[in-house]
Amino acid sequence: MTLFLSQLINGLHVGIIYALIALGYTMVYGIVKLINFAHGDIIMIGAYTAVITLSTLGWSAPVALLAAIALCVLFGITIERIAYKPLRSSPRISSLITAIGVSMLLQNLALLIFGAASKPFPTVLNVPPLRFSGIQISFVTVLTIVVSVLLMALLQGFVKTSRAGKAMRAASEDYKTAQLMGINVNTTITLTFAIGCALAGIGSFLYCMAYPAVSPTMGSLPGLKAFIAAVLGGIGIIPGAMLGGVVMGIAESLTKAYISTQMSDAVVYGILIIVLLVKPTGLLGKITREKV
Amino acid sequence: MNKKTKSILLNILSIMALYLLITILIGTETMNNYISNILVTILITIIMTASLNVTTGLLGQLALGHAGFMAIGAYTSAIFTKTVALQFSLSLPISLVLGGLVAALFGMLIGIPALRLQGDYLAIITLGFGEIIRVIIENLEITGGAAGLTRITRMSRAFSEDRALSSVIQFSLVFWITVLIIASIFTLGRSRHGRAIISIRENVIAAEATGIPTTRYKLLAFTIAAFFAGIAGGLFAHQTSILNAKNFGFNKSIEYLVMVVLGGMGSITGSIIASIVLVALPEMLRGLAEYRLVIYSLLLIVMMLFRPSGLLGTREFSMLSFWESLERLWKRLFKRKDVPTRMPFQPRYDVWEDKPVLEVSKLGISFGGLRAADNVNLCLMNDEIVGLIGPNGAGKTTIFNMLTGVYVPTEGEICLLGKRMNGQQPHDITRDGIARTFQNIRLFKSMSVLDNIKVAFHSRMLYSTLSGILRDNACLSEERGIDIRARELLRVFQMEDVADVQASALPYGQQRKLEICRALASNPKVLLLDEPAAGMNPMETSELMQTIKTIRNRFSVAILLIEHDMKLVMGICERIYVLNYGKIIAEGTPEQIRNNPEVIAAYLGSVDAQPGEVRGTAHA
Repeated sequence: MTLFLSQLINGLHVGIIYALIALGYTMVYGIVKLINFAHGDIIMIGAYTAVITLSTLGWSAPVALLAAIALCVLFGITIERIAYKPLRSSPRISSLITAIGVSMLLQNLALLIFGAASKPFPTVLNVPPLRFSGIQISFVTVLTIVVSVLLMALLQGFVKTSRAGKAMRAASEDYKTAQLMGINVNTTITLTFAIGCALAGIGSFLYCMAYPAVSPTMGSLPGLKAFIAAVLGGIGIIPGAMLGGVVMGIAESLTKAYISTQMSDAVVYGILIIVLLVKPTGLLGKITREKV
Repeated sequence: MNKKTKSILLNILSIMALYLLITILIGTETMNNYISNILVTILITIIMTASLNVTTGLLGQLALGHAGFMAIGAYTSAIFTKTVALQFSLSLPISLVLGGLVAALFGMLIGIPALRLQGDYLAIITLGFGEIIRVIIENLEITGGAAGLTRITRMSRAFSEDRALSSVIQFSLVFWITVLIIASIFTLGRSRHGRAIISIRENVIAAEATGIPTTRYKLLAFTIAAFFAGIAGGLFAHQTSILNAKNFGFNKSIEYLVMVVLGGMGSITGSIIASIVLVALPEMLRGLAEYRLVIYSLLLIVMMLFRPSGLLGTREFSMLSFWESLERLWKRLFKRKDVPTRMPFQPRYDVWEDKPVLEVSKLGISFGGLRAADNVNLCLMNDEIVGLIGPNGAGKTTIFNMLTGVYVPTEGEICLLGKRMNGQQPHDITRDGIARTFQNIRLFKSMSVLDNIKVAFHSRMLYSTLSGILRDNACLSEERGIDIRARELLRVFQMEDVADVQASALPYGQQRKLEICRALASNPKVLLLDEPAAGMNPMETSELMQTIKTIRNRFSVAILLIEHDMKLVMGICERIYVLNYGKIIAEGTPEQIRNNPEVIAAYLGSVDAQPGEVRGTAHA
């Protein structure tokens, strides 16, 4: 039971980070219908920024976090403007390939600048783990979950109530009509990328606190999994990404504990396939039929 | 010399010349082992990209797990040659075919559930399957687990003691397998099966309505692609002698996809060129090893930004047109004579007795709580033109959708010439003789006008996929037949001069005509026209009225048409049904309908000035 509970909490820890990253995928997909493969590498950029500001420049953790967020947002917006915007009206596969190209470029630039060896992420928090009747929970886990839940609540509130949030929702329903209603779709898309990348920046910081190794390709696996989490929950749907991330994280951690470490990826993909076959638009997705 | 034989001859000659040149270079060891290995890698990559192009380019379904099929082929074939005690030159070909077949089997097994999805979802699910294949291979004992499979017989060593000779044999084997596969993809693409596959890429619903069993063809394309990938995997295993599941992951699939897209989706020659460039380029950039991948990815982005449809788009590089452009350069005054086509082809029209061709009784359908159609009875006599009118949202198109099998009616019966049609697939209904057009035009946009029509002959043709690949007599004679029929049809519509124009380039009115033309090509007994005059100006409309009458007389079809233009409806329909809120509220001759008070209240509106005169558009 204690093993189960602590695995559950571990799963929640990883899952909620997936969810944070998945939000970036889902929001971008919701509006521009693009699977932004470079989103995983934004995590890597955030992680390197944090490592350099913390270890080399000796900045304090909150400042380093802000720097990571700022750089992630900067990269996200620049990538959107240079690589994705010109392709908005071309076939979707072209922008998909461009996204893959951007992802490769970021990884290889990092490889060129920082080398292939992974850099250790310094310990930021030195708080003893909390104990609840035999279960030990590290402070990082608690912090991660609390911060992420707060952020998601904030985001949900922003999207539901604010003017810009309404514009985002309108643009994701039908961006041509949104344009006709006087919404500046370009600004809205930029904002979407910015929010997604800011969340990825925070996500990268939290991820590094849990897995303290920073390398050029570190972003691709959590990126891929976060993307799958977004699809699992129903891509384009914000609560779906949160749900998908948590489900993925828990499934992964329970498989590692009870079945086998190697098979955990297979189980994750298996869940994805079953969900897609039973409910092709994801857990929270709605089925739309093409009108004839 | 005929243009076709010239083209074939040119292709064969250039392939032979290329082959001889390279074998001589390898045999005399002018080309060292390293380079000949890269050449083999290029060939294997060509098989992979060309086969992926069958799913992604021809079928138009994005697949992200193609390397998974390669892995299955590679492991199957390697395990076979390692365990079966046969002479290598015998066991290798068997193992390759076996690898292909096992991969094809998996392709089919994965395709059956996966192809229910479309677009990005299909891409994601193939990604999932690809990764599962990799993880499972990594954890099985027979595949060597995470350490991988080692000491697989190398083709470059096993054929002969002499290294150079063995390399030549390796190259020859891989080269001719590649040529064979490419040739069969080409011939398949030009057969009715290939056309069926391409029509799915262009518009699934229109493909179904034109008589293409889309699910079957999706699966066929997917399975064929997996088969070829399996063979490529087998070759790869015996080239490198070491297999590791990590080499067949997501990144590998993406690499192949990138090549397909860069070459141009749907262009097999584009895939070949992209494979050559993208395999050779990194090798040439080896001096700049550090910057290699940076340059590679920049190239990719820039290419997409400035040429998003890839190098060749969906066009093919043809030796013939290459040759011809050379010829034109040399002899500017050279004039070619047109080869006259005059092959007779008998159109087949069935004759039937004087009873309803189409009889619909008590038809009804509900969407959730909405009764979109309720207790609808209607019938169509032989060669009759009947109108179906009613306000927007009355359920007119819903009735068409039930007649053509797009929706399955909740109750009631549809009988075509006494045969019950309910619950049949759209393509079966088309084959049995109901063809339709769409309210919002659904042409196969990037296909030529002629090919749009040819797709519709699909259900009237017999030759098999194999004939299509071999281009034997069965295939050629049928193709010749439909070419003539298709052009004949175009002539009826005065469109023969735009036969080779891409459908999307036609003006609006001609696109509507082409849709009717395509519907007629499936040789229907009943033709359903959904707002044929929508968006037409008065002149085009009166021309259309004439065309509809001509069609009825010439093709002997019963026509049911939905239309809001009262001038057209009253002008050509012999009988009219009026639909309101899913129910038929009136039936009769144009005269009766025009004076029916219920119809006037529900749809036509009152005509104050001159009773009996028809207003232009009822619901303006």
